Amino acid sequence: MAILRKKKGTFVGDTVQLENVALRYGDGPEVLHDVSLVIPQRSFHFLTGPSGAGKTSLMSLMYLARHPSRGRMRLFGDDVTALKRNKAASFRRRLGVIFQDFRLLNHLSAFDNVALPLRIAGVADTVVTQNVTELLTWVGLEEFMQAHPSTLSGGQQQRVAIARAVVNRPNLILADEPTGNVDDAIALRLMQLFIEMHKLGSSVIIATHNESLVRQFPFPRLHIEKGVVEALPAGATPPSSVAEV
Amino acid sequence: MLKIRSDLPLRGDSSSRFVFWLVAILVFMAALAVTANSYVEALLTGWNQSVTGTLTIQIPTDDSATNNADDVENLLNILNAQESAVSATVVPAEKMSELLEPWLGDSTLITDLPLPLLIDVQLTANTPDAVQTIVDLTKKTAPHAIIEDHRVWLNRIVGLAEGFSAIALSVMALVTGALGLIVVFATRASLTEYTQTIDVLHIVGAKDGYVAGQFARRALVQGVFGGIAGLALYGPALAAIAWLSSRVQEGLLPDVSLPIKHWLIILALPVIAGILAMVTANMTVRRILALKI
Repeated sequence: MAILRKKKGTFVGDTVQLENVALRYGDGPEVLHDVSLVIPQRSFHFLTGPSGAGKTSLMSLMYLARHPSRGRMRLFGDDVTALKRNKAASFRRRLGVIFQDFRLLNHLSAFDNVALPLRIAGVADTVVTQNVTELLTWVGLEEFMQAHPSTLSGGQQQRVAIARAVVNRPNLILADEPTGNVDDAIALRLMQLFIEMHKLGSSVIIATHNESLVRQFPFPRLHIEKGVVEALPAGATPPSSVAEV
Repeated sequence: MLKIRSDLPLRGDSSSRFVFWLVAILVFMAALAVTANSYVEALLTGWNQSVTGTLTIQIPTDDSATNNADDVENLLNILNAQESAVSATVVPAEKMSELLEPWLGDSTLITDLPLPLLIDVQLTANTPDAVQTIVDLTKKTAPHAIIEDHRVWLNRIVGLAEGFSAIALSVMALVTGALGLIVVFATRASLTEYTQTIDVLHIVGAKDGYVAGQFARRALVQGVFGGIAGLALYGPALAAIAWLSSRVQEGLLPDVSLPIKHWLIILALPVIAGILAMVTANMTVRRILALKI
């Protein structure tokens, strides 16, 4: 695909670096405590942990929807701990985020949804058409380019959301349960897309509950439990899972 | 309406139509205010031109002599000899009846009335000195003469015209303020309605300016098209006024044609409304989004 051949932005340092980061919502209790982790360039991580453990909160820090309430955070080598609002857009253009609830724009067609990041970045229309068409064909939605999300199945919407996240060749892909609504064959195809992006230089973090998916691929995992993150090598199982078994 | 690619579903939302019609009404009101102002201004200019540099001397009829023919003759000779006067002529009886016709009708009554003689004096310069010379000479020659230099009533008319202008300006200021408020509230409502969509736009890399631009473009279209609709209402209203005034007897209302400047301002109103709406929407969105993380 042409989109996969596009030259990507380079930077010095790790993709994400958290130092003793804590997060709380308003005056509530901390949902993340003293998280220190490093996501190197060109890495692939699964993010696992029980519901409510803080997976989504950790991701929201990384896509700059929240500021850490404590600690320091670097993204693409730059300090973003207290990033000014008007500076965030340039960082977000190097991110691809896939939400559990997709967050597609229902008044736009699948094509326009996927084209959104490119158009916002001011990419020429011909390039937009070419890249979006190729990518939607890759995820098996060539028949549904002009369909609106509300007319698509959950799995199809998920693929549109994934296409939107990767169309800009991001430095970091954050995916929250990206294979939760598709059958195994499509899940594998989507994983293949993420691995392809990873090989081409993107760092990928995939939050998932799907243990079999984690076991199928030789990637390290970040396990989060009660707001504490633990980095585990590929193949290792978190202590709590062992306890549960 | 103009087709603009938008990432926000703004075209069909409820506030769109609401703003469109309110802008139409406001531009209609603004056009009427501008027209009233232009009309009064044109009226005044006309009067001013016909009155500046002239004096009217009235010689009342008295019971003893018929119009004091000698006095009049004498006065005309003296005035015409002056450097400050271009000419002094007696207003002929036909002209008098013509002037009085709208009030008294076309009847023999006019000729039977003991009308004063009017002397129309054209001045070389409309300076107080020139006026004073004529006044002094007239007082000496014909002590009963009444001198009308038009200034008093003209000043009052100017005052009235200025009042009209002030009202027209106030209407314009109110209309501008109302337009701004409408756009601010409609934009705020849309922002609340599309919070989630705007969040998505931000996450995929949109700056506040990009989002503000979408609202601003929508406001520009609404302003311009609402303004055109307002002028579409104004056209028939103006035609109706013109028709009503044409039914009034000639002479009572002077025939006034509005200057080209007036029509240019009227045509510019939709554009002004559009730009005002666009700038207001842009500022509103930026200000509100700046408060977020």
